Amino acid sequence: MKGYRKYFLTKLAWFAITFVFAFVLNFTLPRLMPGDPVAAIVARQAQGISNPIGVQAIYQQYTELFGTNKPIIEQFFIYVKNVLGGDFGFSFSQYPRTVVDVIRASILWTVCLQFPAIIVGWLIGNTLGALAAYLKGGFDKVLMPISIFVSNFPAFGMAVILMVIFGVTLKWFPTSGGYGYDLIPSFDWKFIRSVIVHYQLPFWSIVLIAIGGQAIGMRAMSIYELNADYVKYSRFMGIKDSTIVRYVFRNAMLPQITGLALSIGTMVGGALVAEIVFSYPGLGTTLLTAVMGQDYPLISFATLIITIMVLSATFIIEILYGVIDPRIKAAQAE
Amino acid sequence: MRHTLRQIFRSGKFVVGFSIFMMILLIVIVYPLVVTHPPLEIIGQGTFFPPGIYVSTYDAINAPTTYMLNLTDAAAKRVANKLKNEDRLAMKEWMVAAGVPESEIDIADTESLLTLWKRHYDPNKRMEGMTFARLRYYQRVNAAIEGLLSTEAAIIAAKNRETGALEEVSAVKQTDYVNISEVANVRVLALGTDNFGRDVLTELVRATGVSLQIGFVAGLIATLIGLTLGLLAGYIGGLVDDVIMFFTNLFTVIPGFVLLILISFSIGQDKRGAFTIATVIGLTSWVWTTRAVRAQVMSLRNRDHVNLSKLSGHSIPYIILTDILPYIASYVVMALILQISSGILAEAGLSILGLGPRTTEVPTLGLMMNWAMIYQAPILGKWWAYLPVLVTIALITFSMNLMNTGLDQVFNPALRD
Amino acid sequence: MGQAVLEVNDLTTKYITRFREDIYAVDHVSLRVEEGKTLGIAGESGCGKSTLALSLMGYYFPPLHYVSGEIILNGRKITGMKPDEIRKTALGTEIAYIPQAAMNALNPTQKVINFIEDVILAHNPTQDKKDIYELARASFEVLGLPASVLHKYPVELSGGMKQRTVIAVSVILRPTVLIADEPSSALDVTSQKMVIKMLKGLMENGFIKAMIFITHELPLLYNVADDIMVMYAGQIVEKATAKQAVFDPLHPYSKGLMGSIIVPESGLRSVKLTAIPGAPPNLKKPPAGCRFAERCKYVQPECKVTYVPLYDAGNGRAYRCILSEKTLREAYQHGW
Ligand SMILES: Nc1ncnc2c1ncn2[C@@H]1O[C@H](COP(=O)(O)OP(=O)(O)O)[C@@H](O)[C@H]1O
Ligand SMILES: [Mg+2]
Repeated sequence: MKGYRKYFLTKLAWFAITFVFAFVLNFTLPRLMPGDPVAAIVARQAQGISNPIGVQAIYQQYTELFGTNKPIIEQFFIYVKNVLGGDFGFSFSQYPRTVVDVIRASILWTVCLQFPAIIVGWLIGNTLGALAAYLKGGFDKVLMPISIFVSNFPAFGMAVILMVIFGVTLKWFPTSGGYGYDLIPSFDWKFIRSVIVHYQLPFWSIVLIAIGGQAIGMRAMSIYELNADYVKYSRFMGIKDSTIVRYVFRNAMLPQITGLALSIGTMVGGALVAEIVFSYPGLGTTLLTAVMGQDYPLISFATLIITIMVLSATFIIEILYGVIDPRIKAAQAE
Repeated sequence: MRHTLRQIFRSGKFVVGFSIFMMILLIVIVYPLVVTHPPLEIIGQGTFFPPGIYVSTYDAINAPTTYMLNLTDAAAKRVANKLKNEDRLAMKEWMVAAGVPESEIDIADTESLLTLWKRHYDPNKRMEGMTFARLRYYQRVNAAIEGLLSTEAAIIAAKNRETGALEEVSAVKQTDYVNISEVANVRVLALGTDNFGRDVLTELVRATGVSLQIGFVAGLIATLIGLTLGLLAGYIGGLVDDVIMFFTNLFTVIPGFVLLILISFSIGQDKRGAFTIATVIGLTSWVWTTRAVRAQVMSLRNRDHVNLSKLSGHSIPYIILTDILPYIASYVVMALILQISSGILAEAGLSILGLGPRTTEVPTLGLMMNWAMIYQAPILGKWWAYLPVLVTIALITFSMNLMNTGLDQVFNPALRD
Repeated sequence: MGQAVLEVNDLTTKYITRFREDIYAVDHVSLRVEEGKTLGIAGESGCGKSTLALSLMGYYFPPLHYVSGEIILNGRKITGMKPDEIRKTALGTEIAYIPQAAMNALNPTQKVINFIEDVILAHNPTQDKKDIYELARASFEVLGLPASVLHKYPVELSGGMKQRTVIAVSVILRPTVLIADEPSSALDVTSQKMVIKMLKGLMENGFIKAMIFITHELPLLYNVADDIMVMYAGQIVEKATAKQAVFDPLHPYSKGLMGSIIVPESGLRSVKLTAIPGAPPNLKKPPAGCRFAERCKYVQPECKVTYVPLYDAGNGRAYRCILSEKTLREAYQHGW
C-alpha cells in the first residue's frame, strides 16, 4: 500500500511538472512566429481611416493592450500573473472577445463529442476484437483486414467519406455545424433535435477510427490470453468454458485500458481534425480559425486546454487501471 | 539473413503490403518519366474539370483527314447526350400539364420522349400560371432539340481579312469523324483538374512522391533519435537513463499533435518547406520509439553474450553495435515503418489545419486534401479532387502496416495465431 | 500387482497444426499406474511428455486431437465419454494436473481463493463459499502454506510459493491421480527441494492416491518414482522400475539420458539431457524404423527400415530395441 501511495504521488508530481512544461511551451512557441499579428488587427480595425497618425495611434493602443511591445520574458510573467487571476487575454482575431470566452463557447461541444465517441469506439472495438479472437474463422478473416484498413485510414478521410455518403449523397444528416444555422441555442425541442442530427456524422467518424485500432489490439491480446497457461490449467481443473472466456476477456480488456491512455492524445488529435471537416463548433474548429487569424493568445489557450484534457484523461486512466488490474498494481507499487 | 528474408516473403500479409507499396513507388518513379508536364501547372481555366479525355475542338475541326461514318444511332445519341435530365423533367411537366397521361411518358427513353414532344408541343401555348421566363425556356429547349435533329452541316466561317465579312471555310457534317490520334492537341485528364485548374493525376503522383519523402525523412529522424536515446537509456542506465526518461515521459503526455501544431505555427507559413515540416514531425514523434527500444535493450543488457563481451573489455559503442543492435534490428525496422506511415498521416493532418508546407512549390497529399476541403469538393460532388488522395494515403499506410504485421509474425512467433 | 487407478491402452493423439499437418506426439502409449505408486516419465524436451500428460485426461481441445486407444480411470472408461461429463466428473476430482509452466498457471487477475471457488463450484454448484474457504484453508495448512496466500493475487507470490500454491490448488478436490509436468524445472535449488518434498507428502497426507511425475532429468526420478517410463519421439522406449531404469537401463537412449557417471544414493547428479549428440526426429515425418536410430551408437542396418516393437522383458519391464538384453548390457560394460 505504501508503495502504491508513492506511485500515486510520483504520478501526481509528473502531472504537475508536465503541466508546467506544457504551459511554458504553449506560451512561447506561438510567440516565436514571425510577422506582426497586431498589425493585422489594426489593418482590420483601421479600415477606412486614411489618417496615418490615427492608424499609428490605434496600433499603439493595441500594442499596449496586448503587451506585445515588452520583452518576451516580461510578457511571460505578466501572462502568468493574469492567468493566475483567470485572465487569459483577448483573442486577436475575435477582438474584443476574450480567449476564455471563445473557448468556453467551444469546449463543451468538443467534450460532448469526443468523450462519448472515444468510449463508444473503444467498447465496440474491444468487443469486435474479442469476438474475432474467439470465433476465428470467417468473422476474423473479414473483420481483421477491415480493421487494419480502417485504423490506418486518416481520421479526416473517414470524416470526408461519411460526409459524402450520408451527408451529400443520401442527405440523411447535415454536413456542417453543430446545429441548424438558423437556430439560436436554447433548450427547446427543435434545437436539441438539430443538435442530435448534427452530432451523428462527426460522432461516427471518430467512433469508426477508434474501433479499428482497438479491435486489432484487443484481438492480439485475446489471442495471447487464450493461449495463456492459466487457460489450459483452468480447463483441466474442470472449469466451464464460459467462466474461462470471462477470465480471458477481462484479462485482455484491462491492458487495453493502458492502450487507451497511450493513444488518447492521438485520438484527440484525429478527432480535432474531424471537427474541422464538419465545421463542428468545437476546439478543433476554433483552433483552425486561430491559426488562420494568427491569433496566438487563442492558440496558446486552446492547445493548453487540449493538453490539460489529454493529461487528465491519461492520469485518470492510469490510476484507474492500477486499481482494477492487480498485475499493473504490483508493477506500480514496485 | 537469406533465410530470414525468405521467411519474411513467405508471410502473405507482408507480400501483399510490399507489393502495394512497391507499385505505388514504381508509379511515383515512372510516371514523371512518361508524363513530363510540371505538376503544378495551371492548365484549366475554371475549377474542377471532370476526368476525361480533352480534345481540342479547333484541332479536331482542322484535322488533316475527315472520315465519314454512317452510324445509325448517332442522331439519337446526340440528342440523348444534349438533353439533360432537368430538361427531360421539364418536358414531362409541360406535357402532363398539356394533358398527356403521365404513364405514357418515359423520360429515360429519348426516342419515345422526342416523338411525344414533337406531337404535342406548341410553342405558343400558355399554361396556367406559367411565367414568361418559363415559356421562353421551353422555346429554347425546343429550338435546341430541333437543331439537334436537323441534318444540315455546321458551317465553319472565318472573317475575310479585307472585307471583314464572314465566309464559309468548311462545313462539318454530322457524319464527319476525325481519328483522335490525328488531332494535334489531346490531353488526357484521367482525374480531371482541381480547384486551381491543375491536372489532378500529375499533381497526385508528385504529391505522393513528396509525401513519401516527408514520411521517410520524418520517420528516419524519429527513429534515429528514438534509437539513440533508447540505446543510451537502456544500456548505460543510471543518470543518463533518468534524464532521458524525464524528457520521454514529458513528451509522452503532451500530445504530439499539439506540439506539432505549435511548432509549425511558430515557424510561420513562409519558412515551412516540405522538409522543415518533415523535420518537425520527426522531432515530435521519437518518444514512442525511445520507450520501445529502451525496453528491448534492458531485456538484452544482462544476456550472456553481452556479459561476455563486457568481460572481454569491449568498449560501450562496440558492444552496442555488435551485441545489442543486431538483436533489435528487426524491431527497429518495424518501428521505422510505423513512423514513416504515421509521418505521412501527420503531414496530412497538419495541412488540413492550414499548417502544412507552404503551398507554392510542391504539392503534398495533405495540401491537396486541404485545397479540396477549402474549395468544398466533397460537398460539390467533385470526387476526383479528394477521393484519389484519400485512397492513396490509405493505400500507403495500409500497405506499410500490412508489411509490419507480416514482419511481426515472423519475428514474434508468440503473436502467431 | 496392486490395483490400477489409471490404465491406458494404446493411446494415440495428434496435434493438427494450422498448416493442417498432423503431429503424432503420443504414439500408441500404454501404461498402468497402481494405487500408492508414482510413475515417472522421462525424456528430452520435445519428445511428447507434456502432450502425454494432457492426453491422459481424456479432455481434448484443438490443436490436440484424440486418435485411438482407451483410458480407464478408476475402473471407468473415460475415452468416448462426453467432454462435459469428463469435465464434471473426472477433471480435478479424479485426475488433476500441474502444468509445466506453473508460474503462469493461475489467472493473474484473480485472487487464489476466487479461483479455488470457481474450481469447486464447477463441480458442485451449490457449495457454500464459507465452506470452500474452510476447506481451502485446511488444505493449505496441512500442506504447509500460509492461509494469507488465499487472499493474494498470483503476482504477489514468489516463484516457489506460486508453484506450491498451484500444487495445493490442484489437489484441492482430492483427485485420485495427480500428473505433475516438470514441477520443479523452473525453480532454484531450494524451492526445488521444497516442491519435491511437498509432492512426496501428498500421498502420505491422503490428498492423492497415485502420481505421474514428468521430468527431463531422469536421475531426479530415482528419488521420486517407483516405476519409470522413458519416452522418445512420442513413443515409449523403456519401462522399468526406478532402480532398473537408473542403474541398469536397457535402451541406448535411456542409457544416454543417465550420462556416464552416477553417484549412488545421496548425490545423483542431474545430467542435462542434451548430453546425447544430435536432435530428435521431426514428428511430422517420423522415420519408418527405430526413431532413435539416427543418434544411436549401436545402430544396425535394419534399425532404420524395420519397425521396432516394444519387447517385453518380463516383470513389467519392456524396451524398444532390436538388440538383446545381453548384447546391450555387454555393450554398455565393455564398449561396442
Ligand atoms: N500446440 C502445439 N501444436 C503443434 N505441435 C505441438 C504443440 N505443442 C507441442 N507440439 C509438438 O509436439 C511435440 C511434443 O511436445 P511436448 O509434448 O511439449 O514435449 P515435451 O513436454 O516432452 O517437451 C513437439 O514436437 C512439439 O513441437
Ligand atoms: Mg513439456
